[in-house]
Amino acid sequence: MTTETKILGVILILTVVLLGGGVFFLSKGLSNVKSTEEASVAQIDYSRGEKIGSDSAKVKVVEFSDLQCPACLAAEPIVKKLRADYPDQVQLIYRHFPLPQHTHGREAAILAEAAGQQGKFWEIHDKLFETQAEWSGLTDVNNFFMDLSKQVGLDENKLKQDMAGNPVKSKIDSDVADGQSLGVNSTPTFYVNGHKVVLQSFDDLNTAVAQELKK
Amino acid sequence: MISSNLSNRLIFIFSLLGLFVSSFLLYEYTITGPIVCPIGGGCDTVRSSVYSHILGIPVPILGIAFYLGMAVLSVVHSQKSVQKIIKKLQLLGAVAAVAFGVYLTFLEAFVIKAFCFWCVLSFIISVIILLAVVSARKEDYDNGN
Repeated sequence: MTTETKILGVILILTVVLLGGGVFFLSKGLSNVKSTEEASVAQIDYSRGEKIGSDSAKVKVVEFSDLQCPACLAAEPIVKKLRADYPDQVQLIYRHFPLPQHTHGREAAILAEAAGQQGKFWEIHDKLFETQAEWSGLTDVNNFFMDLSKQVGLDENKLKQDMAGNPVKSKIDSDVADGQSLGVNSTPTFYVNGHKVVLQSFDDLNTAVAQELKK
Repeated sequence: MISSNLSNRLIFIFSLLGLFVSSFLLYEYTITGPIVCPIGGGCDTVRSSVYSHILGIPVPILGIAFYLGMAVLSVVHSQKSVQKIIKKLQLLGAVAAVAFGVYLTFLEAFVIKAFCFWCVLSFIISVIILLAVVSARKEDYDNGN
Protein backbone atom coordinates (compact mmCIF):
# COMPACT_ATOMS: atom_id res chain seq x y z
CA MET A 1 0.00 0.00 0.00
CA THR A 2 1.44 3.40 -0.92
CA THR A 3 1.79 6.21 1.61
CA GLU A 4 -0.74 8.24 -0.37
CA THR A 5 -3.34 5.46 -0.14
CA LYS A 6 -2.86 5.32 3.63
CA ILE A 7 -3.08 9.10 4.12
CA LEU A 8 -6.14 9.52 1.90
CA GLY A 9 -7.75 6.47 3.47
CA VAL A 10 -7.29 7.80 7.00
CA ILE A 11 -8.63 11.25 6.04
CA LEU A 12 -11.67 9.65 4.40
CA ILE A 13 -12.44 7.42 7.39
CA LEU A 14 -12.12 10.36 9.80
CA THR A 15 -14.42 12.50 7.63
CA VAL A 16 -17.06 9.78 7.38
CA VAL A 17 -16.98 9.14 11.16
CA LEU A 18 -17.22 12.88 11.86
CA LEU A 19 -20.12 13.47 9.45
CA GLY A 20 -21.96 10.25 10.32
CA GLY A 21 -21.68 11.02 14.03
CA GLY A 22 -22.75 14.62 13.49
CA VAL A 23 -25.88 13.78 11.49
CA PHE A 24 -26.75 10.90 13.85
CA PHE A 25 -26.46 12.87 17.10
CA LEU A 26 -28.10 16.02 15.78
CA SER A 27 -31.07 14.08 14.38
CA LYS A 28 -31.30 12.00 17.56
CA GLY A 29 -31.36 15.10 19.73
CA LEU A 30 -34.08 16.44 17.50
CA SER A 31 -36.22 13.30 17.58
CA ASN A 32 -36.20 13.43 21.39
CA VAL A 33 -37.56 16.94 21.21
CA LYS A 34 -40.15 15.77 18.68
CA SER A 35 -41.47 12.96 20.83
CA THR A 36 -41.99 15.20 23.85
CA GLU A 37 -43.66 17.80 21.66
CA GLU A 38 -45.92 15.21 20.10
CA ALA A 39 -46.87 13.71 23.43
CA SER A 40 -48.08 16.93 24.99
CA VAL A 41 -51.28 18.65 23.97
CA ALA A 42 -50.75 22.35 23.40
CA GLN A 43 -53.20 24.68 25.13
CA ILE A 44 -54.55 26.60 22.18
CA ASP A 45 -57.27 29.22 22.43
CA TYR A 46 -59.61 28.09 19.65
CA SER A 47 -61.69 31.26 19.86
CA ARG A 48 -58.90 33.15 18.08
CA GLY A 49 -57.86 33.14 14.43
CA GLU A 50 -59.65 32.99 11.10
CA LYS A 51 -61.69 29.81 10.70
CA ILE A 52 -63.10 27.61 8.00
CA GLY A 53 -65.46 24.85 9.06
CA SER A 54 -67.78 24.31 11.99
CA ASP A 55 -66.83 25.01 15.62
CA SER A 56 -68.16 21.55 16.46
CA ALA A 57 -65.80 19.84 13.96
CA LYS A 58 -64.09 16.77 15.42
CA VAL A 59 -60.62 17.82 14.29
CA LYS A 60 -59.21 21.31 14.64
CA VAL A 61 -56.18 22.11 12.52
CA VAL A 62 -54.35 25.27 13.55
CA GLU A 63 -51.77 26.64 11.15
CA PHE A 64 -49.25 29.27 12.17
CA SER A 65 -48.32 30.76 8.84
CA ASP A 66 -46.64 33.65 7.09
CA LEU A 67 -48.17 34.82 3.81
CA GLN A 68 -44.69 35.56 2.42
CA CYS A 69 -43.15 32.22 3.38
CA PRO A 70 -42.44 29.90 0.43
CA ALA A 71 -42.85 26.75 2.55
CA CYS A 72 -46.34 27.95 3.58
CA LEU A 73 -47.16 28.42 -0.10
CA ALA A 74 -45.88 24.88 -0.74
CA ALA A 75 -48.18 23.59 2.03
CA GLU A 76 -51.26 25.28 0.53
CA PRO A 77 -52.32 22.41 -1.77
CA ILE A 78 -52.48 19.95 1.14
CA VAL A 79 -54.35 22.46 3.32
CA LYS A 80 -56.84 23.06 0.51
CA LYS A 81 -57.22 19.30 0.09
CA LEU A 82 -58.10 19.02 3.80
CA ARG A 83 -60.70 21.74 3.33
CA ALA A 84 -62.19 19.85 0.39
CA ASP A 85 -61.95 16.29 1.78
CA TYR A 86 -63.38 16.95 5.25
CA PRO A 87 -65.70 19.97 4.98
CA ASP A 88 -67.70 18.96 8.09
CA GLN A 89 -65.17 17.06 10.16
CA VAL A 90 -62.25 19.47 10.09
CA GLN A 91 -62.07 23.09 11.17
CA LEU A 92 -59.08 24.95 9.82
CA ILE A 93 -57.81 27.89 11.86
CA TYR A 94 -55.32 30.34 10.43
CA ARG A 95 -53.01 32.18 12.84
CA HIS A 96 -50.50 34.82 11.78
CA PHE A 97 -46.84 34.25 12.42
CA PRO A 98 -45.00 36.66 10.05
CA LEU A 99 -41.28 35.98 10.30
CA PRO A 100 -38.89 38.94 10.58
CA GLN A 101 -36.84 37.83 7.54
CA HIS A 102 -39.90 38.25 5.30
CA THR A 103 -39.99 42.00 4.78
CA HIS A 104 -43.64 42.14 3.64
CA GLY A 105 -44.95 39.28 5.79
CA ARG A 106 -46.49 41.58 8.36
CA GLU A 107 -47.94 43.97 5.76
CA ALA A 108 -49.58 41.00 4.04
CA ALA A 109 -50.99 39.84 7.39
CA ILE A 110 -52.40 43.35 7.99
CA LEU A 111 -54.03 43.36 4.55
CA ALA A 112 -55.55 39.92 5.16
CA GLU A 113 -56.93 40.89 8.59
CA ALA A 114 -58.33 44.16 7.25
CA ALA A 115 -59.98 42.20 4.42
CA GLY A 116 -61.34 39.92 7.15
CA GLN A 117 -63.21 42.93 8.58
CA GLN A 118 -65.15 42.90 5.29
CA GLY A 119 -65.60 39.13 5.43
CA LYS A 120 -63.03 38.43 2.74
CA PHE A 121 -60.09 37.04 4.70
CA TRP A 122 -59.88 33.74 2.81
CA GLU A 123 -60.30 35.34 -0.61
CA ILE A 124 -57.34 37.68 -0.06
CA HIS A 125 -55.39 34.90 1.73
CA ASP A 126 -55.69 32.74 -1.41
CA LYS A 127 -54.84 35.66 -3.70
CA LEU A 128 -51.77 36.58 -1.65
CA PHE A 129 -50.45 33.03 -1.83
CA GLU A 130 -51.19 32.74 -5.56
CA THR A 131 -49.24 35.92 -6.29
CA GLN A 132 -46.55 35.51 -3.62
CA ALA A 133 -43.70 35.35 -6.14
CA GLU A 134 -44.89 38.62 -7.75
CA TRP A 135 -44.96 40.77 -4.58
CA SER A 136 -42.26 39.17 -2.41
CA GLY A 137 -39.44 40.95 -4.23
CA LEU A 138 -41.11 44.38 -4.49
CA THR A 139 -39.71 47.29 -2.49
CA ASP A 140 -43.17 48.78 -1.99
CA VAL A 141 -46.16 46.44 -2.02
CA ASN A 142 -48.86 49.07 -1.47
CA ASN A 143 -50.06 49.41 -5.06
CA PHE A 144 -49.89 45.68 -5.65
CA PHE A 145 -51.94 44.99 -2.52
CA MET A 146 -54.52 47.62 -3.50
CA ASP A 147 -54.89 45.95 -6.91
CA LEU A 148 -55.44 42.59 -5.22
CA SER A 149 -58.06 44.07 -2.92
CA LYS A 150 -59.93 45.49 -5.91
CA GLN A 151 -59.88 42.05 -7.52
CA VAL A 152 -61.66 40.52 -4.56
CA GLY A 153 -64.08 43.44 -4.36
CA LEU A 154 -63.01 45.18 -1.16
CA ASP A 155 -64.12 48.69 -0.23
CA GLU A 156 -60.85 50.59 -0.54
CA ASN A 157 -61.58 53.36 1.94
CA LYS A 158 -62.69 51.01 4.67
CA LEU A 159 -59.72 48.74 3.92
CA LYS A 160 -57.26 51.61 4.32
CA GLN A 161 -58.90 52.66 7.59
CA ASP A 162 -58.80 49.12 8.96
CA MET A 163 -55.21 48.59 7.86
CA ALA A 164 -54.15 51.66 9.82
CA GLY A 165 -56.29 50.78 12.82
CA ASN A 166 -55.28 49.10 16.05
CA PRO A 167 -57.72 46.14 16.15
CA VAL A 168 -56.08 44.53 13.12
CA LYS A 169 -52.55 45.05 14.42
CA SER A 170 -53.30 43.83 17.92
CA LYS A 171 -54.93 40.69 16.48
CA ILE A 172 -51.72 39.88 14.60
CA ASP A 173 -49.61 40.70 17.66
CA SER A 174 -51.66 38.38 19.81
CA ASP A 175 -51.32 35.59 17.20
CA VAL A 176 -47.55 36.03 17.24
CA ALA A 177 -47.48 36.14 21.06
CA ASP A 178 -49.58 32.93 21.25
CA GLY A 179 -47.28 31.27 18.72
CA GLN A 180 -44.20 32.24 20.68
CA SER A 181 -45.65 30.98 23.95
CA LEU A 182 -46.40 27.65 22.23
CA GLY A 183 -42.79 27.49 21.03
CA VAL A 184 -43.51 28.07 17.33
CA ASN A 185 -40.23 29.05 15.68
CA SER A 186 -40.84 28.37 12.01
CA THR A 187 -43.63 28.43 9.47
CA PRO A 188 -45.78 26.65 8.61
CA THR A 189 -46.35 25.03 12.02
CA PHE A 190 -49.45 22.87 12.31
CA TYR A 191 -51.36 21.67 15.36
CA VAL A 192 -53.92 18.90 14.93
CA ASN A 193 -56.21 18.83 17.99
CA GLY A 194 -53.41 20.45 19.95
CA HIS A 195 -50.72 18.00 18.84
CA LYS A 196 -47.85 19.68 17.07
CA VAL A 197 -47.36 17.85 13.78
CA VAL A 198 -43.74 17.25 12.88
CA LEU A 199 -43.78 17.20 9.10
CA GLN A 200 -41.34 15.14 7.12
CA SER A 201 -43.57 15.76 4.13
CA PHE A 202 -46.85 17.62 3.83
CA ASP A 203 -48.70 14.29 3.49
CA ASP A 204 -47.97 13.77 7.19
CA LEU A 205 -50.58 16.45 7.89
CA ASN A 206 -53.19 14.37 6.10
CA THR A 207 -52.13 11.30 8.06
CA ALA A 208 -52.33 13.17 11.39
CA VAL A 209 -55.85 14.39 10.56
CA ALA A 210 -56.96 10.90 9.47
CA GLN A 211 -55.63 9.47 12.77
CA GLU A 212 -57.55 12.03 14.82
CA LEU A 213 -60.74 11.28 12.88
CA LYS A 214 -60.43 7.58 13.73
CA LYS A 215 -60.19 8.26 17.49
CA MET B 1 -3.62 19.81 -18.18
CA ILE B 2 -2.85 18.32 -14.83
CA SER B 3 -1.12 15.10 -13.86
CA SER B 4 -3.08 12.01 -12.90
CA ASN B 5 -1.87 12.22 -9.29
CA LEU B 6 -2.81 15.86 -8.89
CA SER B 7 -6.24 15.31 -10.42
CA ASN B 8 -6.80 12.37 -8.12
CA ARG B 9 -6.07 14.54 -5.08
CA LEU B 10 -8.42 17.21 -6.43
CA ILE B 11 -11.16 14.60 -6.90
CA PHE B 12 -10.56 13.43 -3.32
CA ILE B 13 -10.73 16.94 -1.83
CA PHE B 14 -13.86 17.92 -3.78
CA SER B 15 -15.53 14.61 -2.93
CA LEU B 16 -15.01 15.39 0.77
CA LEU B 17 -16.44 18.89 0.22
CA GLY B 18 -19.42 17.32 -1.54
CA LEU B 19 -19.85 14.91 1.37
CA PHE B 20 -20.07 17.86 3.78
CA VAL B 21 -22.66 19.64 1.61
CA SER B 22 -24.80 16.52 1.09
CA SER B 23 -24.63 15.53 4.77
CA PHE B 24 -25.66 19.01 5.79
CA LEU B 25 -28.61 18.85 3.39
CA LEU B 26 -29.61 15.41 4.70
CA TYR B 27 -29.59 16.84 8.22
CA GLU B 28 -31.75 19.74 7.02
CA TYR B 29 -34.17 17.22 5.49
CA THR B 30 -34.68 15.63 8.91
CA ILE B 31 -35.83 18.88 10.52
CA THR B 32 -39.01 20.81 9.79
CA GLY B 33 -37.81 24.35 10.42
CA PRO B 34 -36.48 26.62 7.70
CA ILE B 35 -33.25 25.56 5.97
CA VAL B 36 -30.23 27.84 6.36
CA CYS B 37 -30.13 29.18 2.80
CA PRO B 38 -27.33 31.76 2.27
CA ILE B 39 -28.36 32.97 -1.21
CA GLY B 40 -31.74 32.97 -2.93
CA GLY B 41 -33.87 31.55 -0.12
CA GLY B 42 -35.38 28.78 -2.27
CA CYS B 43 -34.19 25.85 -0.14
CA ASP B 44 -37.53 25.38 1.67
CA THR B 45 -39.44 25.39 -1.60
CA VAL B 46 -37.10 22.85 -3.17
CA ARG B 47 -37.21 20.59 -0.10
CA SER B 48 -41.00 20.67 0.00
CA SER B 49 -41.35 19.89 -3.72
CA VAL B 50 -42.12 16.38 -4.96
CA TYR B 51 -38.66 16.25 -6.53
CA SER B 52 -36.89 16.23 -3.15
CA HIS B 53 -37.23 12.43 -3.02
CA ILE B 54 -36.61 9.96 -5.82
CA LEU B 55 -38.31 6.57 -5.36
CA GLY B 56 -38.68 7.50 -1.71
CA ILE B 57 -34.98 8.21 -1.28
CA PRO B 58 -34.08 11.75 -0.20
CA VAL B 59 -31.87 13.31 -2.92
CA PRO B 60 -29.07 14.20 -0.40
CA ILE B 61 -28.59 10.45 0.25
CA LEU B 62 -27.87 9.98 -3.48
CA GLY B 63 -25.35 12.82 -3.18
CA ILE B 64 -23.67 11.20 -0.16
CA ALA B 65 -23.48 7.85 -2.01
CA PHE B 66 -21.87 9.52 -5.03
CA TYR B 67 -19.28 11.56 -3.12
CA LEU B 68 -18.43 8.65 -0.83
CA GLY B 69 -17.99 6.41 -3.88
CA MET B 70 -15.76 8.97 -5.61
CA ALA B 71 -13.68 9.47 -2.45
CA VAL B 72 -13.19 5.71 -2.05
CA LEU B 73 -12.19 5.42 -5.74
CA SER B 74 -9.58 8.15 -5.34
CA VAL B 75 -8.15 6.39 -2.27
CA VAL B 76 -7.87 3.13 -4.22
CA HIS B 77 -6.57 5.02 -7.29
CA SER B 78 -3.24 5.63 -5.55
CA GLN B 79 -2.60 1.87 -5.97
CA LYS B 80 -0.92 1.62 -9.40
CA SER B 81 -2.19 -1.89 -10.20
CA VAL B 82 -5.87 -0.96 -10.44
CA GLN B 83 -5.65 2.53 -11.91
CA LYS B 84 -7.14 1.73 -15.32
CA ILE B 85 -10.41 0.34 -14.06
CA ILE B 86 -10.61 3.02 -11.34
CA LYS B 87 -10.26 5.76 -13.95
CA LYS B 88 -13.12 4.24 -15.95
CA LEU B 89 -15.32 4.08 -12.86
CA GLN B 90 -14.44 7.68 -11.95
CA LEU B 91 -15.45 8.87 -15.41
CA LEU B 92 -18.68 6.87 -15.32
CA GLY B 93 -19.59 8.15 -11.84
CA ALA B 94 -18.77 11.79 -12.61
CA VAL B 95 -20.68 11.81 -15.91
CA ALA B 96 -23.73 10.23 -14.25
CA ALA B 97 -23.59 12.72 -11.37
CA VAL B 98 -23.27 15.75 -13.63
CA ALA B 99 -26.09 14.49 -15.86
CA PHE B 100 -28.29 14.02 -12.79
CA GLY B 101 -27.22 17.47 -11.55
CA VAL B 102 -28.20 19.03 -14.90
CA TYR B 103 -31.62 17.37 -14.58
CA LEU B 104 -32.09 18.63 -10.98
CA THR B 105 -30.92 22.15 -11.81
CA PHE B 106 -33.29 22.16 -14.80
CA LEU B 107 -36.15 21.21 -12.44
CA GLU B 108 -35.16 23.99 -10.05
CA ALA B 109 -35.07 26.58 -12.83
CA PHE B 110 -38.16 25.67 -14.83
CA VAL B 111 -40.46 23.47 -12.73
CA ILE B 112 -39.94 24.34 -9.05
CA LYS B 113 -38.86 27.88 -10.02
CA ALA B 114 -36.67 28.24 -6.94
CA PHE B 115 -32.97 27.61 -6.43
CA CYS B 116 -31.53 25.85 -3.43
CA PHE B 117 -28.05 27.17 -2.69
CA TRP B 118 -26.72 23.85 -1.36
CA CYS B 119 -28.04 21.90 -4.36
CA VAL B 120 -26.42 24.31 -6.81
CA LEU B 121 -23.17 24.18 -4.80
CA SER B 122 -23.22 20.39 -4.97
CA PHE B 123 -23.81 20.57 -8.73
CA ILE B 124 -20.78 22.88 -9.12
CA ILE B 125 -18.63 20.49 -7.06
CA SER B 126 -19.67 17.55 -9.26
CA VAL B 127 -18.78 19.56 -12.39
CA ILE B 128 -15.30 20.31 -10.94
CA ILE B 129 -14.85 16.59 -10.21
CA LEU B 130 -15.81 15.73 -13.79
CA LEU B 131 -13.36 18.33 -15.14
CA ALA B 132 -10.58 16.84 -12.97
CA VAL B 133 -11.38 13.31 -14.21
CA VAL B 134 -11.48 14.40 -17.86
CA SER B 135 -8.32 16.49 -17.70
CA ALA B 136 -6.35 13.60 -16.15
CA ARG B 137 -7.59 11.30 -18.90
CA LYS B 138 -6.53 13.81 -21.55
CA GLU B 139 -3.08 14.02 -19.97
CA ASP B 140 -2.81 10.20 -20.03
CA TYR B 141 -3.95 10.17 -23.65
CA ASP B 142 -1.42 12.83 -24.70
CA ASN B 143 1.32 10.84 -23.00
CA GLY B 144 0.27 7.79 -24.97
CA ASN B 145 -0.93 5.77 -21.94
